[in-house]
Amino acid sequence: MEIKMANLTKIFISKDKKEVHAVDHVDLVIPSGKLIGLLGPSGCGKSTTLYLIAGLLRQTEGEIYFGEEEMSETPPEKRGIGLVFQNYALYPHMTVRENILFPLENLKVEKEEAKKRTFEMAKLVGLEEMLDRKPKELSGGQQQRVAIARALVKTPRVLLLDEPLSNLDARLRLQTREEIKRIQRETKITTVFVTHDQEEAMSISDEIVVMKDGIIQQMGEPQEVYDKPTNLFVAKFLGNPQINVFDGEIKNKEILIENMFVGKRDLPDQKVFIGVRPEGFIIDQENKSSFHFKVDLVETIGRDTTLIFDMQDDSINILDKKTFKAIIDAGFRIKAGDVVHFNIKPEKMHLFDINGTIL
Amino acid sequence: MADIYVSNVKAYKAKKIASNVLLYAFLVIVALTILLPFYWMILSSLKSTVQIEQVPPILLMAPSDWKITNYTDLFVLVQSGQRAGEPLFPFFTYMKNTVVVSIITTIGTTITTVLAAFAFARLNFKGRDILFAILLGTMMVPGEIFILTNFVTVYRLGWYSISNQTYLDVLLAMTIPFMTSVFYIFYLRQTFKQIPNELYYAAKVDGTTDFKYLLKVMIPIALPTIITIIILNSMGAWSAYIWPALISCKDEYRLVSNGLRGAFTDTSTGRTDYGQQMAASVLVTLPLLILFFAFRKQIMRGVSRSGIKG
Amino acid sequence: MEKKNNLRAWLYLAPLLILMAVFTFYPLINAFIVSSYKGYLPLSGTADEIDFFYNFGVILKNPLFKKAVINTFIIAGVSVPVSILLSLLIAVSLKSIPKLKGFFQTIYFLPYVTNTIAIGMAFAFMFHEDYGVINLILGWFGISPVNWLGGTASYAAQMIALLILTIWNGLAFKILVFTSGLENIDKQYYDAAKIDSASKWTVFKRITVPLLSPLILYISITSVIGALKAYNSVVGLFGDVKLGAQNNSMITIVAFVYQYKDGYTDKGYISYAAAASIILFFITAVISILQTVVSKKRVHY
Repeated sequence: MEIKMANLTKIFISKDKKEVHAVDHVDLVIPSGKLIGLLGPSGCGKSTTLYLIAGLLRQTEGEIYFGEEEMSETPPEKRGIGLVFQNYALYPHMTVRENILFPLENLKVEKEEAKKRTFEMAKLVGLEEMLDRKPKELSGGQQQRVAIARALVKTPRVLLLDEPLSNLDARLRLQTREEIKRIQRETKITTVFVTHDQEEAMSISDEIVVMKDGIIQQMGEPQEVYDKPTNLFVAKFLGNPQINVFDGEIKNKEILIENMFVGKRDLPDQKVFIGVRPEGFIIDQENKSSFHFKVDLVETIGRDTTLIFDMQDDSINILDKKTFKAIIDAGFRIKAGDVVHFNIKPEKMHLFDINGTIL
Repeated sequence: MADIYVSNVKAYKAKKIASNVLLYAFLVIVALTILLPFYWMILSSLKSTVQIEQVPPILLMAPSDWKITNYTDLFVLVQSGQRAGEPLFPFFTYMKNTVVVSIITTIGTTITTVLAAFAFARLNFKGRDILFAILLGTMMVPGEIFILTNFVTVYRLGWYSISNQTYLDVLLAMTIPFMTSVFYIFYLRQTFKQIPNELYYAAKVDGTTDFKYLLKVMIPIALPTIITIIILNSMGAWSAYIWPALISCKDEYRLVSNGLRGAFTDTSTGRTDYGQQMAASVLVTLPLLILFFAFRKQIMRGVSRSGIKG
Repeated sequence: MEKKNNLRAWLYLAPLLILMAVFTFYPLINAFIVSSYKGYLPLSGTADEIDFFYNFGVILKNPLFKKAVINTFIIAGVSVPVSILLSLLIAVSLKSIPKLKGFFQTIYFLPYVTNTIAIGMAFAFMFHEDYGVINLILGWFGISPVNWLGGTASYAAQMIALLILTIWNGLAFKILVFTSGLENIDKQYYDAAKIDSASKWTVFKRITVPLLSPLILYISITSVIGALKAYNSVVGLFGDVKLGAQNNSMITIVAFVYQYKDGYTDKGYISYAAAASIILFFITAVISILQTVVSKKRVHY
C-alpha cells in the first residue's frame, strides 16, 4: 500500500498560546512494500507525522492517501494500520495470547482462524512458548516483539513503529532491529519506522526520510543520503563520528581551509562550510601535502585509530576548542604532538554555502 | 482481508455525532437527577402552606410568587412550653455551636495529624511499621463500637451532667474525642514522604532541629495537602448527628443536624410543616455549599486523591 | 543516638496516641469486655456475672435485630453494585465528552457536600404521596401515585426510597474518584485499542474496567463498609424515632445499636449494644476480607 502525504500540516497550540508547526507542509510518498525510516532529532515532527498517518491525531491541513483513498476522515480503527508504540502499550492485564488476539476479536475474525493466526504470529516473532505469560513477566525485548505481533496479526496494510527500540539495551537493540527487518521482508508490509538514531535508521531502512522542525530535509536510500547530503543539517545528522565542518573559502576555484589547499571546485569566490567525513582523510606524509595539523590526541579502538586535532593550539577555554576527527588505519604509528599531512578524498568532502545548502 | 478496512466515512461520522448527543443527554439527565433534591428543597421552602399542599405539586414558580415566610417563621419565638422564648428553629445558636466545634476539632486534628505524620514519614523508631499498621486497622472498625463506652468516659470526666452541664463541658465532649484521624495521617504521610531525603540531611548538616525542620520546611511544602485536610475536616461537624445529640443535655448546646429532625411536627396534631422543614434544610445546607464553592478545587482534588491513594 | 531518636518520635506521637488510647483503643477493648457482662450497669460499673455468650444470644434471638441485619444487607447489596456501575458509566461518559467536563463534575459532586439529615428530609418530601415531585414525574409516564413513606407504605416502597437516597448520596465520591482514576490510565492503551479496532463497549469492558479494578475493589470495600453503617440517611428519611412507616420497619444494625443509647440506667442494655456493634464489626471484617480474597483473582496488578 503506497502512502502519500500532500501538504500535510499539524499545528499545535502551546501553553503560552503560540502556534507550533509540528509538521509543516509535508509532501511525501512512501512506496508500497518498503521499510522507511523517519529520522530526526527529538521534536522534529517525526512522531507527529506517524500519528497523523495512524489517525490518532488530526491534521490541521493537507491530505493523506492510502493508495487512491483519502484517509483524513477515516478513524484510526478503519485505516487498517498496525502501530507499535514506543512503550509498547501492551495491555498489562492480558496475557501475550490475549494481547495478540485482541485486534482479531474486535474485527470479529472467526475463532479458529483467529487462534491459528495468533499462534502463527507468535511463531513469527519467536514467542510461541510465552503465550500464557503476562507482559510484566517478559523482558523488554520480548514485550517489544509481542507489540509487533499484535500490530501484525490483523495483516494491516501499513505497519507503523514509533521509536520501537528506544527502551531496549544496546545489544538487544541490534538483535531486534535485525528481527524487524526480517519480519518486514517476510510480510512485505509497507512500514514506517520512526527513530532519532541515525545508525538504526540507516541499517534498517530501504529509504530514510530526514526531518527537522516539521520539514522534510531529504529522502533517499541511506547510503545515498549519507554520500550526498543536500544540506549541512543532514550531513551533520548522519554519520558517527559526526562529519567535520570547517570554515573555509573558495578562491580562484581552489578550496582553502585556513589558507591550506584541500581541493578544487569550479565555483565563484565565496565563504563556505566544508564538511569532511572522518574517514575522508588520507595521510600523506611523504609529499608533505599542504593540509596539515598537529595531533592532539590519539584513540585506538580495534582496527580504527581516531586522531583528534585541536585547530587552535593557543585557545585557553576548553569549551571553545575547535577540534576535528580523522579515522585512519590502525597501521599508522602516530603519536600525540606529531604533525600530520592529509589529502582529502573528494567524494567525502561536501561544500555548503553559508546558509548550509549544498553547492 | 483489506475489505475490512474499507469504511463508510459518512456513516461513521453520523454515528459519532449520534453517540455524542446520547452521551450529553445521559449526562444531563444524571445532572438533573442530582440537582432535583436541591431544587425541590429550595422550591418547597419558598411555597406557602397552600401552594405546598397543592395537588398535583407545583414544579415551577415565578420569583414574584416566592414567599419567605417559611424562613421568617423559623425565627419566631416559641410562646410557651420547655423552649419558651427561643426561636422555633434556633438556627443561629446551632450554627454558632457547629462553627465553634468545627474550628476546635479541626485545630486539634491538624496538630495531632501533622505531628504524627511527621513521625511516621521522617523519623526512624522501633515499632513504627507495626504501630502504623495497627492505626490503619482501626479505620476498619465501625465507630459505633466506640460510642457507648466513650459516652461513659465523657460522663466520668464530668463533661456530661443533666443538671449542671456547662457550655465548656459540651465543647470538650464534642471535640476532644474527635481530634484524631488516622485517615488524614495516612494522607499527609504520603505527601511528607515525597519530600526528598536530601532536604532533611541538608538541614541536619546545618544543625536544624527536627521540629524546626518540620515547621520551616515540611509544613510549607505540604501546605496544599494540609489546607485540604483542614477544609475536609471542618465539614465533618455539619454531619455529626448522633454524638452531639447524645452528650448535649440542653437543646441550645446542639449542632445543626440535631435541630432538623422532628422539630417541625406539631406533636398535638401530628401535622408536619413541610415549608418550614425545607427552609431549615436549606439553611443548614447553605453554609456547606458556600464553603464548597469557595474551595471547590482544593476539596475536589483532596477527595479524589484520598480515594486514589487509599 | 538511636534511643534519643526513639524518644523523640514517641513525643511527636504522644498527642495522637493519648487521645486514641482513651477514645479508640480503650472503648474497642471495653466493648468486648462489656459484651461479656450480664446485668451490667455502666455508670456504677457493676455486673451480675460474666457470660461470654449471653448478650449475643439475646441479640441474635431478637426479631428486630434480624430485621436490622436483613435491611442492612439489602441496602449494602443493592446500593453498592448499582452505584459503582452507575458512577463508572458516568465517569467514562465524562471522559469521552469534549466540553463541559468540569461543569458536570462539579454538579455531580454536590451530594458530597450536603448534610445527610437535611437532604434526607428533602427526599422525604420528594417522596410525599400527594405533594411530592417523584409521584408527579411518575405520573408523566402514566404510573399512578405510590405511597412511599406514608403510614401504610409497603416495605418495598420504603426500601426503594431509601435505596434511591443512598445511591444518590454515594455517587458523588465514586464519580470523582473514578474520573481521576481514569485520568491516571495511560492514554497509550486507548490509542492502542483504537488501532486494534476495539469498539467503545469493548474498550470499557476489556481495558477500562480491568485497569481500574484495583480502584474498583477499594471503592467497593469502602462503600460496603459505609453501607453497613447506614443510619443518618434512615433518620433523614424516616425520622429519629420511628425508622419507617410501620414502627422500625426500616431499622438498620447501627440504628439497632443506637436504640440502647439512652439505656444507661437500665441493667444490661449497654451490653446488648456492645454485642450488636461487635457483630457489625465482624460482618464488616468478614465481608471486606471476602471481597479482597475473591477479587484477588480478578484484580490485575
